This record gives sequence, structure tokens and C-alpha cells, in this order.
Amino acid sequence: MGTNLLDADLVKRVQAGDTAAFDILVQKYQHKVINLVGRFVSDQAECQDIAQDAFIKAFRAIGSFRGDSQFYTWLYRIATNTAKNHLASRARKSPNYAVDVDDAEHYEGESGLKEYANPESLLLTDEIKATIFRAIENLPDDLKSAITLREIDGLSYEEIAEVMDCPIGTVRSRIFRARDVIDKELRPLLE
Amino acid sequence: MTEHDEKLAYLLDEFRDENADASLDEVMADVNLQYRARRYRMIGEAMRNELPPAVDSDFHNSVMARLHAEVAIEKASKMEKPSQADRPSSLLSWASLKPFAGLAVAASVAVVTVALWQPLQKETGQIDNELVSADQQKVQKLAGQQIQGTAVAVSTRVQTLGTRWKVDREMPGMQQKLNAYLVNHTEYSNSVQGLIPQARVAGFDSQK
Repeated sequence: MGTNLLDADLVKRVQAGDTAAFDILVQKYQHKVINLVGRFVSDQAECQDIAQDAFIKAFRAIGSFRGDSQFYTWLYRIATNTAKNHLASRARKSPNYAVDVDDAEHYEGESGLKEYANPESLLLTDEIKATIFRAIENLPDDLKSAITLREIDGLSYEEIAEVMDCPIGTVRSRIFRARDVIDKELRPLLE
Repeated sequence: MTEHDEKLAYLLDEFRDENADASLDEVMADVNLQYRARRYRMIGEAMRNELPPAVDSDFHNSVMARLHAEVAIEKASKMEKPSQADRPSSLLSWASLKPFAGLAVAASVAVVTVALWQPLQKETGQIDNELVSADQQKVQKLAGQQIQGTAVAVSTRVQTLGTRWKVDREMPGMQQKLNAYLVNHTEYSNSVQGLIPQARVAGFDSQK
């Protein structure tokens, strides 16, 4: 996660009333929060609703965030509590479906149906992953190494420059060239 | 590497140089740059196997739409309900008016009672006067028939004592006449049903 200077800058902007800065934070952490909530709730639609609630709660409470902890740990705590509260409130509610005694033997509940409620987005995700990995495989070695060290190993530009024995400017250039090549394959899927 | 890529280095890789703040401003003002940054971030998430099972490319838009709606509602409710500090100081609070509320209710009841009672009294007074004068004439006529025109004799049967008539009840037909008067009085009495209990005292009075 690095030193998270960016998060601190964005949080300050949000606290000063800049809502667009919160949009950047949502874009940065949306998938991490959805994955986190997904550990509590299997249904993807429900999962996204809870993640939305978590972001809204975070926005409401961001004025009281003093930066004692990292923003993402604070956000993850909100997301975890939101998911737990959701599960607790769901447990308090009685099931809203009725199963006939004769059908009960074959009934598996509604969660299985809901989990695959949006097959298009599931298919799209698979296609996105396949496209990205295919594009990475076709990258020249220097670009592949640079983007792998950055995205998978999480090294900074300075550390990559040391590992690859090249200037920082070259590292930055290689990383962005790699992203640009992959993006050319990815963009048509998302438009 | 393009100029756009340089601007995204801080946003995506925490590479902070002297232009970082200006770059962030430009990214926040440019939707296309943000879209590009989202795709670049997605590449990293896919490589780390951090993509959720179902990618919703509109997720952040939904969050921001909800957020803007909430902010708008909050602003609207603030305008509808001014805070204690925003209220004009000349307006008296309910707490300060509370002691006078009882007085106001009592005064209202008094006004209603007086307003209802005055026309009622006026109407019943008129009817009573008419009845009394009519009855007086009948009684005098009856008395006159019996004593044959002597004014002194009438006064022995119907006399005034103070402000009230004194009637000789022993006189033949007088009791029947008084009963007829009472029946007439009840029929003509003008009370407001259900509001004022019908309690009347019928009597002869020289001043009424």
C-alpha cells in the first residue's frame, strides 16, 4: 500500500468539501471493499449494496477521521462492521419464502440462484482477466518485468530502478508503456 | 510515455514529485483521465487476482449518485428546518409561551360562553315578556269578568309584592291557566340542545 500520501491528500480534500476527491477514493478501493464484504456475503448483488453502504458511511464519518491510522484500514473496518451488521439484521428477520413440504427435499435455498443472478458481469470479469493475462504474456521482457515488479511485488519506482539497474524515468516509462499495450486490448471490453 | 501517463503516476503508483498536486487536480478535472486510471488500476487488480467475481464498472457512479442525493436531501431539510441558531430571536419559544396557554384557553371559553349566552338571554327574555304580558292580560280579563269592573277588586286577586306578581291560586280556573302557561313556556323556550342544559324557572315577574 506504500506510504499512502495520496490517500492523505484525498482525505484532506474531502474534508475540505471536495466530493470529487471521494470519488477517486471510491475508484481506488471499490474492488478491495467488495472482495472484503464478499467474505461475509456470497451473493454479489447484496455484496455490492453493502459495499455501497460502507462507502456512504465512510463519507459521512470522514470529518472525524484524524489520520491516526491509514485510510484503508479505517475504511476496511467500516466495511467489516457494515457487513456484520447486515448479517445480524438478516438473521433477525424470518425467512420470507415458503417451501412446500413435498418440495423441501429438493430445495437448496435462494442464495444459489442469486449468486448467478448476473451472468453477464461474471462472464465479463473472466474475459477481462483472460485478456489482461494474454496481453501480459505478449509484452516484451523489460515491460513485463517492470509492470510485474510494480503490480505484483508492489515495489516503488526507486526499488524497481535498483532491481532493473536503470533510471527512475525509464522505470516509469516502461510501466506506463506496458499498461498502454494491455489497455489497448482491454478498452473494447469495457466500452 | 505520454503527458497523461505522467499525471497518473502519483494517482496509481504514489510517485510524488513536485508536480503531484497539480497532476491530481488535472486528473480530478478530467473524466477521460479518470477512466484511463480505472482501467490501469484494473490491470493491476487482475494481476494480483483482486478483481471481484463480478465487475461492475458503474459501481463508483452508483455510490456517488447516492451520495449526491443524500447531500441534496440534507441541504433541503436544513432549509426547511432552520436550526435554533438560525431562528429569528424575536420569535418567542414554546417554553416561554407555555404559562400563558392555560389563560388563553380559559379566555376563549369565557368569550364563547358570553357570545352564546347573550343572544339566548335576549331571545328568551323577549318570549318571556310577550308571554307574561299576554298572560297578564288574560288574567286581568278573567279577574275583571269575575269582579265586574272594580279596579280595587282586581288588586285583591292579582297584586304585586316587591317585583313579583302574587296570584290567587284559589281562584277558579287559575291553576289551569298557570299550567297552560308552563306548557306554552316549555314549547317556546329556545335552548341550544346539547350545549346548555334546559333548566328554566317559570314565574311571573313585573319587571320581566
